[in-house]
Amino acid sequence: MSADTKPTLNAPHGQLRTTRRRLLAGAGAVAAAAAVAPLAVACQQQPTSKKSGPAKVVVMTDSHEFGDDDRKLLQDTTKIEIELVEADLTRLYAMYAAGNPPDIFRVQAAGIPQYISRRMLKDLQPYFANSKVLKIDDLAPANNFYKSDGKKVGTGDLYGMVKDWSPDFTLYAYKKPFAEAGVTVPSDSQPLTYDELAALAKKVNKKQGGKRTYWGFVHSNNDQWIDRTAMNMLAEKNQSLYSADFSKLVIAANPETLKVVRYLFDLAKDDVHQNPLDPSPNWMGADFNEGQIAILQYGFWYSAMAESDKTKGNVVFLPAPTWSGVRRDPTMTATGWVISSQTKDPDAAWAVFEQYMGGKPAQDRAKSGWGVPGLKSMYPLMPQETPFQKQVQKVLQAELKQSEFTLAFNPYIGEETFATSWKKHLEPALKGSISFDKFVANIEADINTAIADGKRIAGNN
Amino acid sequence: MSAAARPIAGSSVRAVAWRRRSARRALTFYAFLSPWLVGFALLTALPLAVALLMSFTDYDGFNLDRVGFVGLENYTRALADPDAQHALQRTLILMVTVVPIGVGVQLALALLLDQRLRFSGLLRTIFYLPHVIPVVGGAWVWKLFTDPNGGLLNAIIGIFSPDTYIRWLVEYPTVVLSVFVIWAAAGGGMVIFLAGLQGIPAEYREAAMIDGASPWQVTRFVTLPLLSPVIFFQVVVGVIATLQILQQPILLTPGITGISPGTVPPRDNYVFVGHAYNAIFVNHLFGYGAALLWILFALVLLLTLVLFRTSGRWVFYGVQQ
Repeated sequence: MSADTKPTLNAPHGQLRTTRRRLLAGAGAVAAAAAVAPLAVACQQQPTSKKSGPAKVVVMTDSHEFGDDDRKLLQDTTKIEIELVEADLTRLYAMYAAGNPPDIFRVQAAGIPQYISRRMLKDLQPYFANSKVLKIDDLAPANNFYKSDGKKVGTGDLYGMVKDWSPDFTLYAYKKPFAEAGVTVPSDSQPLTYDELAALAKKVNKKQGGKRTYWGFVHSNNDQWIDRTAMNMLAEKNQSLYSADFSKLVIAANPETLKVVRYLFDLAKDDVHQNPLDPSPNWMGADFNEGQIAILQYGFWYSAMAESDKTKGNVVFLPAPTWSGVRRDPTMTATGWVISSQTKDPDAAWAVFEQYMGGKPAQDRAKSGWGVPGLKSMYPLMPQETPFQKQVQKVLQAELKQSEFTLAFNPYIGEETFATSWKKHLEPALKGSISFDKFVANIEADINTAIADGKRIAGNN
Repeated sequence: MSAAARPIAGSSVRAVAWRRRSARRALTFYAFLSPWLVGFALLTALPLAVALLMSFTDYDGFNLDRVGFVGLENYTRALADPDAQHALQRTLILMVTVVPIGVGVQLALALLLDQRLRFSGLLRTIFYLPHVIPVVGGAWVWKLFTDPNGGLLNAIIGIFSPDTYIRWLVEYPTVVLSVFVIWAAAGGGMVIFLAGLQGIPAEYREAAMIDGASPWQVTRFVTLPLLSPVIFFQVVVGVIATLQILQQPILLTPGITGISPGTVPPRDNYVFVGHAYNAIFVNHLFGYGAALLWILFALVLLLTLVLFRTSGRWVFYGVQQ
């Protein structure tokens, strides 16, 4: 302690208290001033920077898909500042709730009808109509998921675009389990039926001492997309999970729907598909890479990573199976971008959107093989160098002809609602705590309540 | 000015000065408190009030301009919701399991480290470490530990019982969750108990030992009563924390690497806040979710009040009031 401070400590009590208080008050004032000063400066600067600064667009997307290089490239091309916000549904809702949504955000097909019904998306038809980069007749069929006439998705104005896509019901077979089971790997030119697939899955499914060696057939992205799988199967018979006006989920009262749900349930019950009683600690794509899945249902995009060190040279790409002989192989994700209806600078948002979807980033994506390009004119850019890539392309070209169909998602429920209910009730059903009929009834109750809520909210809107 | 008036004037001046000084002190006090007060008002009190208002509406996160008042509908719905009832039941089971065992473990560790042990500093660090590990990291540790295909737990059991293949997270999800929560909280509670133990004057225990009390009797009749305010504090905090649990059951869900809407933990680990999270972020029922959380708040408040009311019977504060 310095000599200067000693007199203060030795001062009479009252004087000491006053000095300490003054000291603390002074420190508090300094701290408050320090806290307020940047705010004051920021408040003064805001209008200036808004007037004179470059346009800025906030993009909420997956940083694995849109890295810093992409951001800089788009910034240089468009001369628009881009702020990247990591894609997160919770954060998106929070930003909307706060009245400050991102200008552009990443979506998937299942969420689009709901976003459109809630008027969250900007109608981009006039922009597409005038664009020289994104020509309407060059759009791949998966972009139909971004069309809406106000009542249904598939036709009407465009509200966004796929960044890339895949016919998503194709299969990947890992040859080793087939060889071990003495079963021939299915042909890559003759699609399997779903019944044949289930029978085959049982043959190549393998467990030893309770430990998993191979899962027979894994699908629906760990059940996250279970409704999409069911919807595509039902679409072959012009059926749907829902009533025509989307006001009800109908399973028990529709024999065909019940049959599809029973089929998917049985795959879990027979333990050939990952399920709550025999889950995988990983994502199913990683399990395939580890050589733990015999047949995997994933789209073309997965071909970019299907061959790992373990599976290389032993993977065959197969056409989508069929439920009733009427083949359909659309995308079930249609991952892409939309522009918020609340964007403050739609022209700047479109400029970024247009370059990302039709400029160099789009060409780079097409060449990478991580999906079919959103523009038909870029199809030839897909890689066809290795034997596996050539085999994939052969199957893919045939599948593209089956990919025009658009899955009709329910506009009144969220994209996770069905899968959440399915997963919630599957565990007690597999354990035998509830019957299959009760399992179906529980899902119907959950979803129909959610639809009623969604309809009421949409009605209020 | 008359002579009689002078004392009055003098006293008035002193009163004014005293009032000014008091006002200055109060101002200083609130100036220092203001960061916390502002934070509390904006980040706690205001959201609570907004959530209360929200619970009487059909707000869905997007319809702020067209939001409708639904009265008590969200509350009546919550009381009739079988999932909410199931989630509440599982949460209460978790609470009555985790809190007593957890507090017991914390206390036992503190009593152990209060002894003169070799390496007590190292042990203290080891026991405290889980408390500073982020919950995501801790969940990963436990997922790896209990992994059926190569997890350490099955490997250890396999030494005595070869070919053991137990899917812990599937067959015993609540046991794993409980142990994880107890493990993660043990270090923090231990430190608080240690502080409490070190606040007990040594002469109390020495006097009891001179009177012939055994170590167990010293602990039972001297240490624990004097430590009862700390035990009470830990029980209250434990009850509140367990009722609000969300991340741990989700992170321990097999195949899940992070928290996201639509994650469904094993049915036995389906907790109340998780149900509210689903209501809000899966079904977009912000109003309903807020009602669920206010019901939970009422329950937390009720249990806390019950604990306080019963504390007079078992909490010893040294000086009886």
